[in-house]
Amino acid sequence: MAFLKLVNLEQRAGDKFLLRNINLEIEKSELFVIIGPTGSGKTTLLRLIDLLDHPSSGNIYIDGLNATALKGDPIDMRRKMAIVFQKPVVFNGTVFENIAYPLKMRGLKTKEIKPRVHSLLDTIGLSGYGRRKARTLSGGEAQRVALARAVIADPELLLLDEPTANLDPHSVKLIEEMVKAFNKSRGVTVVMATHDMQQGQRLASRAGVLMQGELVQVGNPAAIFQSPDSARVAGFVGMQNVYRGRIVASESGIASVQVDESVIDVVSDLEVGKAVDVFVRPEDVVLSLSGTTGSARNKLQGVITAIHITGPLSMVIVDCGLVLEVLVTGKSVEEMGLKMGLEIFCSFKAAAVKVLPVK
Amino acid sequence: MQELWEGLVQAVKLVVSLDPEVIEISVRSLYVSAAAILIAAAICIPVGGLINFHDFRGKRVLINVIQTFYSLPTVVVGLFVFLFISRAGPLGGMGLLFTPGAIILGQVILIMPILTGMTISALSGVDRSIRDTALGAGASQSQAIWTIIKEARFAVVGAVILGFGRAISEVGAAMMLGGNIRGFTRVLTTAISLYTQEGELVLSLALGIILIGIATVINVVVNILLQRY
Amino acid sequence: MAKIFKQFALPALTILILLSMVAGCTPAGQAAENKSAQTQSFATRFKIATTTSLNDTGLWDYLTPVFEKKFNTALDVVAAGTGAALDYGKRGDVDAVTVHDPAAEAQFISDGYGINKRSFAFNYFIVVGPAADPAGIKGLLPEDAFKKIYAGGVADAAKVKFVSRGDNSGTYAKEKLIWQAAGFNYPDVEKSGKWYIEAGKGMGPSLVMASEQGAYILTDVSTFLAYGSKLNLIPVVESGQIFLNVYDAIAINPAKVTTAKMLPMANNFINWLISDDVQNLIATYGVDKYDKPLFSPMKGGGCKDPGCPKVEDYTVPVN
Repeated sequence: MAFLKLVNLEQRAGDKFLLRNINLEIEKSELFVIIGPTGSGKTTLLRLIDLLDHPSSGNIYIDGLNATALKGDPIDMRRKMAIVFQKPVVFNGTVFENIAYPLKMRGLKTKEIKPRVHSLLDTIGLSGYGRRKARTLSGGEAQRVALARAVIADPELLLLDEPTANLDPHSVKLIEEMVKAFNKSRGVTVVMATHDMQQGQRLASRAGVLMQGELVQVGNPAAIFQSPDSARVAGFVGMQNVYRGRIVASESGIASVQVDESVIDVVSDLEVGKAVDVFVRPEDVVLSLSGTTGSARNKLQGVITAIHITGPLSMVIVDCGLVLEVLVTGKSVEEMGLKMGLEIFCSFKAAAVKVLPVK
Repeated sequence: MQELWEGLVQAVKLVVSLDPEVIEISVRSLYVSAAAILIAAAICIPVGGLINFHDFRGKRVLINVIQTFYSLPTVVVGLFVFLFISRAGPLGGMGLLFTPGAIILGQVILIMPILTGMTISALSGVDRSIRDTALGAGASQSQAIWTIIKEARFAVVGAVILGFGRAISEVGAAMMLGGNIRGFTRVLTTAISLYTQEGELVLSLALGIILIGIATVINVVVNILLQRY
Repeated sequence: MAKIFKQFALPALTILILLSMVAGCTPAGQAAENKSAQTQSFATRFKIATTTSLNDTGLWDYLTPVFEKKFNTALDVVAAGTGAALDYGKRGDVDAVTVHDPAAEAQFISDGYGINKRSFAFNYFIVVGPAADPAGIKGLLPEDAFKKIYAGGVADAAKVKFVSRGDNSGTYAKEKLIWQAAGFNYPDVEKSGKWYIEAGKGMGPSLVMASEQGAYILTDVSTFLAYGSKLNLIPVVESGQIFLNVYDAIAINPAKVTTAKMLPMANNFINWLISDDVQNLIATYGVDKYDKPLFSPMKGGGCKDPGCPKVEDYTVPVN
């Protein structure tokens, strides 16, 4: 049996469903990521697995044992797991005391605790911080301490609830590396929640997309990214150009889809007349001032209605019958002199368009 | 107003000369109230923890009742306890009335609401994630409650100091339950009350200054210990 | 520096708390015990409730060490008005009472609560007041003085005031008797105006209050003498048969008050009070400080007024 098995898990709050139909199997030593937008139920799910809350219905099997059926305070089961929350949580006291906490709770003596804490301090790059008051640490440092505290008792299952959500990029990197290292070196099964698609891709071998309390897609993160299997998931993984249309022509593997007044060529075997959702990635659209360059099958002419600068990249909104969001570099904006009201051509390959039949 | 200055001078004289009767009364005040706060804390901090962390019907009502009893009039507590421990009362067999033990009992009952209620306040002010982290880190339910009490310790110790202050400054229960017996149950507050009524204002003031001094020293020492840990 | 101080703080606090708990064993504690009336280290404790005038004069502070030494038993003295003292007796919270209200005592004994009553001391009441004597009562008989105080107070409460004990004390009972003897219905007096102040306190504190208010007050002569230097009052009415004030000791009857278990010691106490040695002590108490004794012992027949107790009531030991 899989190390962690969720069967028909359901969590209700009054009439509302927080989680529904959750069925999932995670193997030992896997690094599994749960991706989903804020409010999708990630925290609820992790709390259930950690036995902090009890599900309305369904079962959780950990290493073969039905954890949900346990009577009384399931402390032995809880001690096989550890959890790190989004907001770094440290107790009053020193860094040493924080990291030593799980061992103290399990009744270990100071003699045994000391070397383990100090070696972990080295691992997380906080050597010599033992005596520091934990509350004086920065967010990134505190989260590293929380992580160390989570792994010191050698849990079999490590649960992380958006551990890097509030941290600076450097700390994010550190934490990610530590999680990967712990997973590899100690063989800890890791279930990590995040809303960051890229983070999921960096860390996990498998991911599950949680939206509005339901697991809508499970698989390799890159695959999910490339081929979301529903409009919902597509929207979440960053495919912002989503349109509904109908196939009006099809020839040797290329279909033409009518979306409002525009026609888009896509790669698809679906028959004519079928209603479909089509998705294009903003970064797969190329802008040009004249319509002559490029071999892309799709060329749409339109007008720039807005430009949003997001770091080194810019999102350009173009109205060409359909509203297209196009991702370009800041340099391109400069070089092409892009501005609002400018007439522009958008082109993209037929192969870049994802097509999903409407169910 | 002249008496204030004289009182201060007298207070210093009494302390410096280690006047035996003043020392005896002061030590008794300390001992009685210290015993009361220790007993009350041992009961009320865990009970406060239990109430805070469990949900049950009437929890809100219970907390309101506890808070109402914060300002129990001391004479009322004295009267109630008197009726119980008088030899004619149900607990008369214990022979507690007119002994220091009776005063301790009265003060324990007096400060239990404060200690319980403020412990609940202190604990509810601790973020839920602390509890989740403690449990998630492998603590048992009672280990987790203790961890949270430690997190809230400033507020909890504040409650203890407040309780001690109330105990050592009250006179109603001490008078009724102790009887102000010279050499046996006379404490600073009952002595002050007696001397004031007898017109010995300077001596009263001196004792009052000593009482305030004791309370201040305790407060300072406890705060230093808190900072250290 | 601060670190060293902090290091001492915990041990210091521990020592402080421990010290307070073993107070009786420390040298200062011992000295306190030697000087003060009672100690904490006796195996048995004998409790009495006393009227405040006996306590406020310091008579019990004086006699207690003598008793404790003789019987190797602690004497715990709870001071209260006669009414409260008798109540403690009824509840069995004390094992003997020393009070001075003949009517209440008679009732107490006939109800079965008290036995073995003996008289052990007496003095007289007097009326004291401001030196200016605004009611003009100096030298009058008690009943007439009261009439004039009433008239003066009702006419001008700012000028003539009277402080009453207003508790269930023997003194208060005597005061009511005097009002009655003067022809008044006491409840009318009580409600007649602001000139009549009910203190609700013991004898000493009530005297202090009268002094501060510039009022007249009925007091036993001993307490007045003991408080003399603190008061701005002088004796104005000093003689009258009705002023006789006899102090009695009564044991609590275990037959009626089943929780009172120290009758033998109570009998010891009473016999001790009427013994020659203690009667002599009472006869001399206060002489060094006030030039005359505060109380008169019953023994020797010093009490000659019509209200004085019979000889058996103060000479025959109880058993």
